[in-house]
Amino acid sequence: MIGFKRITLFVLILFLIMLNVNCQRRRSVTEDRETVAFVMKTLNNPFFIDMQRGAEKAADSLRVKLIVQAAEREVDVEKQLQIIENLIQRRVSAICVTPSGSRELIAGVVKANLAKIPVLIVDTRIDVETLTESGGHFATFIGSDNVDGGRIAAKYIVERLNGNGNVAVLEGIPGHETGDARLKGFWEAINENPRIRVVASQTANWERDQGYNVFQNMLQANPQIDALFACNDMMALGAMEAIAAAGKTGDILVVGFDAVSDARKAIERGQMAASVAQHPYEMGFVAVKKAVEIIREKKVPKEIPITIELITREKM
Amino acid sequence: MQLIERIPVYYRRQLGTLLGLLGLILIFWIMTPYFLTPSNLLNIARQTSINAIIAIGLTFVIIAGGIDLSVGSMLAFAGVVTAGALNLGIPILGSMIIGISVGFLCGAVNGVLIAWGHLPPFIATLGMMSIARGAALLFTGGRPISGFSVSFRFLAEGDFLSLPIPVYIMIGLYVVGHFVLTRTKIGRYAYAIGGNEEAAVLSGVPVKIYKLIIYGISGALSGIAAILLTARLNSAQPIAGIMYELDAIAAAVIGGTSLMGGEGLLIGTLIGALIMGVLRNGLNILGISSFIQQTIIGTVIILAVLIDMFLKRRKK
Repeated sequence: MIGFKRITLFVLILFLIMLNVNCQRRRSVTEDRETVAFVMKTLNNPFFIDMQRGAEKAADSLRVKLIVQAAEREVDVEKQLQIIENLIQRRVSAICVTPSGSRELIAGVVKANLAKIPVLIVDTRIDVETLTESGGHFATFIGSDNVDGGRIAAKYIVERLNGNGNVAVLEGIPGHETGDARLKGFWEAINENPRIRVVASQTANWERDQGYNVFQNMLQANPQIDALFACNDMMALGAMEAIAAAGKTGDILVVGFDAVSDARKAIERGQMAASVAQHPYEMGFVAVKKAVEIIREKKVPKEIPITIELITREKM
Repeated sequence: MQLIERIPVYYRRQLGTLLGLLGLILIFWIMTPYFLTPSNLLNIARQTSINAIIAIGLTFVIIAGGIDLSVGSMLAFAGVVTAGALNLGIPILGSMIIGISVGFLCGAVNGVLIAWGHLPPFIATLGMMSIARGAALLFTGGRPISGFSVSFRFLAEGDFLSLPIPVYIMIGLYVVGHFVLTRTKIGRYAYAIGGNEEAAVLSGVPVKIYKLIIYGISGALSGIAAILLTARLNSAQPIAGIMYELDAIAAAVIGGTSLMGGEGLLIGTLIGALIMGVLRNGLNILGISSFIQQTIIGTVIILAVLIDMFLKRRKK
């Protein structure tokens, strides 16, 4: 065992030397450019890819360095928290984040606050009450009013069905602020129309393949579905395939959310009726722009709304 | 060379893994000054602890010639039950015991199905993966349970003598686990069952009971990890822990545990978990695209096993 001890000792000494050299190196490092970090929920959804492109455009024109990171899966809040912790270690100048969990990410925001790194919340709101309780704060919120978006979608469905029909709903991950807000607006508008019946409402966890399966099951249970509202386009696109497989393309009014490019194509072809467009590109662009303003100590408003609109075939 | 020969043969494989870890640290140290700092090392240790704890259970299971795919789901179920208990006003320690027991029971069911039902471990735990996930979703109605006391959150976010609490828990569990694996019947029988199950049966090892215990241990450790995750996110999510089984299997395998059974040590698993943690952290700090990160992590897993097999073949 003598060898083992000697190796351990050697490794320890080497480690201490490296640590020491590192400290000196850190002192001499001065970043030539400000670094903005952008933490997305995931990068397997075109919505966030668009957002990334907007962020890159802003970073290019403002000449700041941009780091985009995302968890592998949208459901994995813990990985997103890890990424934020790691970027704090990297001492970025500002962090823009689209939270995968409205409460779960608060620890990360508080840590950034302690490190004096401003945090910009993008797209999905964070639970302000819990955040304040934990002693945290964020610089600004950049995003669309999802309640309004849900309302717009519901009104469109009511109008197209002439106020009478069976509607199915595909929900996002329960507890996600975005999905909850969209549903809230949707129900508000639907409840004003007693002859519109919501015959099924289930989650497909934001995902395309689950949208396919869940909607296929819904069709089995309720063959008389006139319209579908999906809380995002990925689920709507999945459902669209299920409708095609059942030979019902065109019979069911499909309304999605986000207006990603695949959904726009489907609307053009008449497979989908409409999608509520948020403008992720603009969100990304504005977020980075505001981050730079904050770094340069300019005042920014506490909330920056991004417009929301319904995309239909007529509007394209 | 002489130095290496003084090291007991069964630790040599772990030495290789350790050198791999040091190599990674060296690479990141060269590439960025933000990596090798005391605060980032503590950050990595805290982030690694949850995966490292789950991986202890998997090491036991894999040494005994099995596999456990249900750890992520058991973690979610144990987490929401712990959270439910806390919300009922049950004291922290009591809630923790309830959570760990839920994990142990799920694991024990796996053990019973495998030992007495003669199901292949892959199938039994695949079933449990779905059952425990469903149970977690049912228990919560799909929504996260959040908002706990400061003292509960201290378990994951607190420090003692400037070391994070989860790191103490992790180290404690590894010390106990190493003792159990090398000095007790449970450990010796695990190697015997994994090495040659028939021989173990013939030499009078009560294989069935020990299988139940080993899968129970894996479940209980998922329960402990669940408590830490819940405290860390201040929220218990029924969708937590998806694919955590793969990270834990990777830690064990990188650390030299053979998927054929009968071989492995916990020191290796701990180093394996640290390699995964260091990789994720370093790649985040360097700001490398998340797509490339996944590819790199996959490559490291494959390389680790390739090198292991190559060394073994050469020995023969």
